[in-house]
Amino acid sequence: MKKKVLATILATAMTVGCLTGCGGGAAETPAAEAPAAEAPAAEEPAADAPAAEEAPAVEAPAAAAEGTDPIANLIAATTGTVTLKVWASEEDQDLTTKLLDEFKASYPDVTFDITLGAESESTAKDTVLTDVEAAADVYSFADDQINELVKAGALQEVAANYTFDVVNENATGAVEAAAVDGKVYAYPMTADNGYFMFYDSSVFSESDVQSLEKMVEVAGAAGKKIAMDISNGWYIYAFFQGAGLELTLNDDGLTNTCTWNAAGGTDVAQAILDLTASNVLVDMNDEDMATQIAEGNVAACVNGTWRAETAAEAWGDNYAATKLPTFKAGGKDCQMSSYSGYKLVGVNPHSANVGWSMLLAEFLTNEAAQTARFEARGLGPSNLAAASSDAVQANPAISALAAQAAYATPQRVGGNFWSPAETLGQILASDNPDGTDLQELLDTTVEGITAPVE
Amino acid sequence: MKKALNAIGNYFKNIGIAFVRGDVWVKLSAVLMGAGYFARKQVMNGIIMFLVEALFAVLCVGYAAPNLAKFGTLGTVQFEQVFDPLTMTSTVNDYDNSFLILLNSIMALFLILVFVLFWIANMKAVYRLQVQKENGEHINTFKEDVQALFNEKFHITLLTLPTIGIVLMNILPILVLVAVAFTNYDQQHMPPSSLFTWVGWSNFKSLFTDSVTVTFGYSFKKVLTWTLEWAVLATFTTYIGGILLAKFINNKKTKLPKMWRTLFIIAIAVPQFVTLLLVRNFFADSGIVNTFCTNIGITDFLKNVGLVPANLSYIPFLTNPGWAKVMIVIINIWVGIPYQMLIATGVLMNIPEDQIESARIDGANPLQIFVKITMPYMLFVTGPSLITDFVKNINNFNVIYLLTQDVYVTSDQLLANSNAKEIDLLVTWLFRLTNEYYNYKMASVIGIVVFIICAAFTLVTFTRTIKGDKEEEFQ
Repeated sequence: MKKKVLATILATAMTVGCLTGCGGGAAETPAAEAPAAEAPAAEEPAADAPAAEEAPAVEAPAAAAEGTDPIANLIAATTGTVTLKVWASEEDQDLTTKLLDEFKASYPDVTFDITLGAESESTAKDTVLTDVEAAADVYSFADDQINELVKAGALQEVAANYTFDVVNENATGAVEAAAVDGKVYAYPMTADNGYFMFYDSSVFSESDVQSLEKMVEVAGAAGKKIAMDISNGWYIYAFFQGAGLELTLNDDGLTNTCTWNAAGGTDVAQAILDLTASNVLVDMNDEDMATQIAEGNVAACVNGTWRAETAAEAWGDNYAATKLPTFKAGGKDCQMSSYSGYKLVGVNPHSANVGWSMLLAEFLTNEAAQTARFEARGLGPSNLAAASSDAVQANPAISALAAQAAYATPQRVGGNFWSPAETLGQILASDNPDGTDLQELLDTTVEGITAPVE
Repeated sequence: MKKALNAIGNYFKNIGIAFVRGDVWVKLSAVLMGAGYFARKQVMNGIIMFLVEALFAVLCVGYAAPNLAKFGTLGTVQFEQVFDPLTMTSTVNDYDNSFLILLNSIMALFLILVFVLFWIANMKAVYRLQVQKENGEHINTFKEDVQALFNEKFHITLLTLPTIGIVLMNILPILVLVAVAFTNYDQQHMPPSSLFTWVGWSNFKSLFTDSVTVTFGYSFKKVLTWTLEWAVLATFTTYIGGILLAKFINNKKTKLPKMWRTLFIIAIAVPQFVTLLLVRNFFADSGIVNTFCTNIGITDFLKNVGLVPANLSYIPFLTNPGWAKVMIVIINIWVGIPYQMLIATGVLMNIPEDQIESARIDGANPLQIFVKITMPYMLFVTGPSLITDFVKNINNFNVIYLLTQDVYVTSDQLLANSNAKEIDLLVTWLFRLTNEYYNYKMASVIGIVVFIICAAFTLVTFTRTIKGDKEEEFQ
């Protein structure tokens, strides 16, 4: 008998092991069914007239229609504990914890249960889209993900503002980056996710950094390198866009239109080939750049604010930053363009507390929060008032970004862009090893970029 | 084969017999499942059967029917949500979630299948009771039935939980994934916000066809070739390496064998992803190994020989297709050998000493002993694990992904156009497609193909190694 008991226990243990071990994702799915059933009540979304009161299929609850102050309405309608899940990046945890406490304190009548999770802005989309219904109520993300997030229904439209005017108090570029088809879907949090030129002012003068050809000449003479992640769609865009060639997202929000293979395209490709041929302008990824700057091999690089500290440490007083230079394509000087980058805060439409989530998102991105974020982490504010402070103006990286802003465009591109563009950069930076005809090279790239999403 | 057909035939014959020869109670059991038991005074059994039937009926109406009704289309009502700025609340319509419909439908179908089997078993059991009664045999009381579950039918008790576990955690998810391969579940059709639907075999077709823009077929062939090359190389290098290493350490002339063995096992103790990420940084274009090679002139030497392109100032360890493939295999040898060494050590210690002794007396040299005695013995004992290793290597995600992610950029434009790279295995390509491009349907198709390859290979090799009296042959 004893043996059988033991065997039973073992078999049970095996099963439990199976349940917890191999279960994983599959086990969770059935549970996700539950929230779909709940349906409170609502009216038509009203982007331009928030107070409009058409009531379609579903009737609004009686209690809600009474007051005209939405926040008062919301507080009155809230009876139980408000449970919210917030995702902020690993580096933003301390600051967000502080802001969450302040948020709770500003609504003393309401009981909150807010949990804070760590999720990098750059990967938020991947995590959110895995299971939208299980994702955080409020999360921060980089603006390049906005199209896919909106497409997947993972962002609540910012149909109305409650504590401040999101559209007018933020920089135009930031609001554009937070909008899809003219509708705002997120709250701008920072304006520092773009790229520009860092340089060592003991090597380059201010006039040198106006032109990439001049920079290559100066750096070559000084035995230094200029680093740029050319084999990366995000950066190689600077050349083609700068030369007036187009890369845009189609209306379907997934596929691209790209004219990099049109007239002038081969000039840009040739320009990149010429610039990298000297081995002064080198293709280097972000990690390598950090080492090479520290080792003193690289005297200038195209990168973003996240590398400001590395550069400032290595170059000391000679650390400087400015807009991207011009480059020569087909005998004509073209100003390099760039992707402007913003970090945004979004609200999950599948949240059980959409109202509170929106208030919290506003709180995390208002002027005070953006100022605090700049002070704590040196992140450039998108809020106009916060950005105009002296401290922000004096920061070289952020003012370089502001100078580049005139030539920058928000990142609006479908997923099929990256892989072909990366390969194009790789081929050009390694001097076109197979000697492929440049037009053919660009044709294939464009074919990949514009491929239907299937 | 014939046996299996006979078994199936008998299975259905028995139900026929139950129907034809069964009395009114047995026939009634077909509709009201407990009836046959009540007639033989097995009240508890009767009640349980009846409850099971009732539960099934409730599930059918409440769960299976609504889901199966939408199974053909996988849902028609798109997600819609409206937000009221004044009350700050939003309303969601009663939308269909294609994925949940698919999942629930498959569970429902499975439930129905289980019930049918259960119903058949019930019919037979009830008829058996009738026969027992007619023959005047003893009919178990409920208590005796329960006791039987702990004695002669103990295997049923024991295996119930594991079986349920396997069905829920392995079989059902696999069925769902197979079904996804026949839908258009991708970035444009992501539940809950949009619906997806059935598309038949078109995903399989696009995997095997080249068209102007969709280079899936081209990439598939390339990736598959490298996957197989890799699996063969990785399996055999670590296998042979492990045996040789174990031999060296076990050699009587080796000093401190335990220390050497421990050192190699420490390599296992460090999590693989940590080692691999570190190694990736060592071999980066401006990593420590490259600095070293440049300083002592290896880079220039390789340039002169032509192994490194002239325009590079570093050795493209993990950034050039040829170099990267070689490096990956070498790094894998380093990562994988300690495991094989452990296995080999155990097996080598069990080689009958008398065989080696007699070989030595006959004048065989160490190499001959190794080739004629040690290796055949090793192959005989570790054959099955070698096959498993091969399959594991086909799906060896860690080594490839961790060594090349964010570092390797393909320069083959056709591969790039379908998000593949030269060094991709089917499984890493699949991961990139799902994780970065949400192309679940194609990932599912590739998954099925990987499964077929692995299953076919395992079946063929296993039957070959196990077939015949291999043990006799070895002796």
